[in-house]
Amino acid sequence: MSERIIRGRIDRSGALVSADAPLLRLQQRAGAGLGKPLALPHLARLVALAQRLHRDISRPLHTADDHSDIHALVRIIPDADGASLEISDWRTRPVAHPQIPAIGDNVVVPHGWTWECDQQLRVVALRAAPDAPPVPANWEGRSLSELFELQPDGDGRFPVLRALARQSRFDGQHVQADAPAGRLAMTLSGDALFDAVGGFTGFRGSAVVADDVAADPVPAAMLVDPAFGSLPLSDPQFGRRIDGALRGPLSRIIATAETISGQFDGPIRADYARYAGDIAHAGRHLLGLVDDLADLQNIERPGFKAAADEIDLGDLARRAVGLLGMKAEEKGIRIDAPRTDDKAPATGEFRRVLQVLLNLLGNAIRYSPDNSLIWIRVNREGDRATVTVADQGQGIDADQQAVVFEKFERLGRTDSGGSGLGLYIARRLARAMDGDLTVDSAPGQGARFTLSLPARD
Amino acid sequence: MTDSVSSSGTDPLSARLRELADYLSAPAAGRLTEEQRALSLGIARRLVADVAVWLDLAIDTDGLWFEWLRKGVPGAERLAHICFARAEEHRWREQSAQRTPPPPILADTGEANSEAAVDAPMSDIDRAYLALQIADRRRFDALGHPALAIADLDGEVFRGLLRDVAAWRLAEVSQYQARAAQLGDAVRLATERHAAERGMADAGAAYHKILGAGVSEAAGQAITRHDWPTLIALAAAALGSSYDDMALTLLTAETAALPSLLAPLHLDRTALAPLEASLAMLPSRAVADHSARNFGEMLAPGRDTQ
Repeated sequence: MSERIIRGRIDRSGALVSADAPLLRLQQRAGAGLGKPLALPHLARLVALAQRLHRDISRPLHTADDHSDIHALVRIIPDADGASLEISDWRTRPVAHPQIPAIGDNVVVPHGWTWECDQQLRVVALRAAPDAPPVPANWEGRSLSELFELQPDGDGRFPVLRALARQSRFDGQHVQADAPAGRLAMTLSGDALFDAVGGFTGFRGSAVVADDVAADPVPAAMLVDPAFGSLPLSDPQFGRRIDGALRGPLSRIIATAETISGQFDGPIRADYARYAGDIAHAGRHLLGLVDDLADLQNIERPGFKAAADEIDLGDLARRAVGLLGMKAEEKGIRIDAPRTDDKAPATGEFRRVLQVLLNLLGNAIRYSPDNSLIWIRVNREGDRATVTVADQGQGIDADQQAVVFEKFERLGRTDSGGSGLGLYIARRLARAMDGDLTVDSAPGQGARFTLSLPARD
Repeated sequence: MTDSVSSSGTDPLSARLRELADYLSAPAAGRLTEEQRALSLGIARRLVADVAVWLDLAIDTDGLWFEWLRKGVPGAERLAHICFARAEEHRWREQSAQRTPPPPILADTGEANSEAAVDAPMSDIDRAYLALQIADRRRFDALGHPALAIADLDGEVFRGLLRDVAAWRLAEVSQYQARAAQLGDAVRLATERHAAERGMADAGAAYHKILGAGVSEAAGQAITRHDWPTLIALAAAALGSSYDDMALTLLTAETAALPSLLAPLHLDRTALAPLEASLAMLPSRAVADHSARNFGEMLAPGRDTQ
């Protein structure tokens, strides 16, 4: 089978000097570019390894950008002037659960229209959901801005045109549309579409009748989060900008610091390597904080709802163990996970439940002593399915239990291990799925966190 | 409508025994996966609802489908081919979409010029390609689920389905003579209306014709971009087959048979590589034994594609 090979070239200083488009895009997403040090930590480590061994190596490559997980096989061929990269079997998987329809969650609107246009904004699909007003006649091939009269936002901008220039997703584009039922005020949102070679092919999105949009009577930009003072965290635009602005530079800081810390370019003083390790650690902490803030901004937006997937808490618990097992092993911690025949069918959003379990298990690993044991049990209690994560850590007293789910509550800890948002987000998510997250603990007795969700037969 | 379900042979025990007997008669044969089954059933449901609405807006499409689910879908063999072809095409497109590399990061260049974006003059080729895209997107419902466009249905399949829906409706409204008579007119009008519909095969033929000598290049680009509907439509036009037949033939072809199948598109072997790779990666693909037949026979022109 002929498979496309993606090639790249690293020079002696570790800079990426040439790269095929997909690799270059990843490098750019990590905040770097051509002529800059390789900003993909895993790949950078493999390159350094091949150079140190002075021989070809082939390894699986796992990396990610802000909306895809990427799995590939990389072959690194070192030489006197650097190294050549050959990446094959490039698999991209969007960071989304496969049960979610491919069209995207923003498109499924009960009272709206769904639409798609090509790269010239010519409409190629327009459909009304069952309870929506009928779509205009003769929409085929007309321009999006002709079908929908674009209205500028508060800054005088047109989100759809901005998105066209950036080839990125957009929302909040206010429009007027002439439908058979009369003139409608609507709001457009859409995702950018790309073909297999990364060419922009148009947008696909939804048009929601303004009555549906106006559920939030307070302009989003005016909302002020009590924890952030004047930072308009609840404004989706602000959240996205901060997210995009921080993620790239942080990834570059981490990659560079890890390269220095790993002494991939040659030996340096041990204390300098340690400082670089500290920088990488702090960078990862900040990146985690950006993730948490993005989550927080998402779940606190009015109307946030989780999907009701058919899930098995036993299966999800085992997946969480699979993902964090290595981290536990580093501390000699053994995880007693549910057996493969332990099932707890429940209703909840697959991705979000996994996120909650990863948070609980990650905390248990972080705060458990070395060589201890963590138990995970699934159960059915009446109409609730539960999963409990129990550890042998120092435990939490009653006063602390009252605040452990508060925003930015770290129970007096000052280390850089967490943002203080994880449990707050986890409980918010649990409750958004008609469930709950509770804690049962006593000092010296470890902690038991229990996630409960509606059970399914 | 009676509840004598068991007499029609669709009670759970009979169905399972029939399935087991079928399995025992050929245990090694590949069978439908749950995904293929669910996709095909969903496509059939949406098709039945669309045809029912064409016939009579007042039809209770949920009630119709629920009853057919219990008693068996009439003309199931007629529908199996097109529903499976559409389901497999959808799986293939989804797989390609999932493997699409991350999009490029573009510098913030402000806002695009809306005039330039929307008012650029279109060539005839662009117009034909746009029509093909529009015909393709009609093959999804409002939520993005795969569906069959009535315009793409073979005339015989459409008429058979229409008659089955009309028969069900007739049983519902038979006590109202006027409404029963209207139903006959509705069947006739729907058949006439369907004959005038233009779907993927027509859009593909028009695009193929206007491309002229550029067909080979356009088909090559479609493969590179994983634009499978365009490739299927061009191949169907080149071979004079229906879109569904071409889709199923391509999706079930041995890799080694692809060059001869797509020979009318004059693609070189290198251009076919991404297609071979993409098909090879499609899980649970049913590779048909086409050795006894040739593609020209299978895709004989003259089939009713209206």
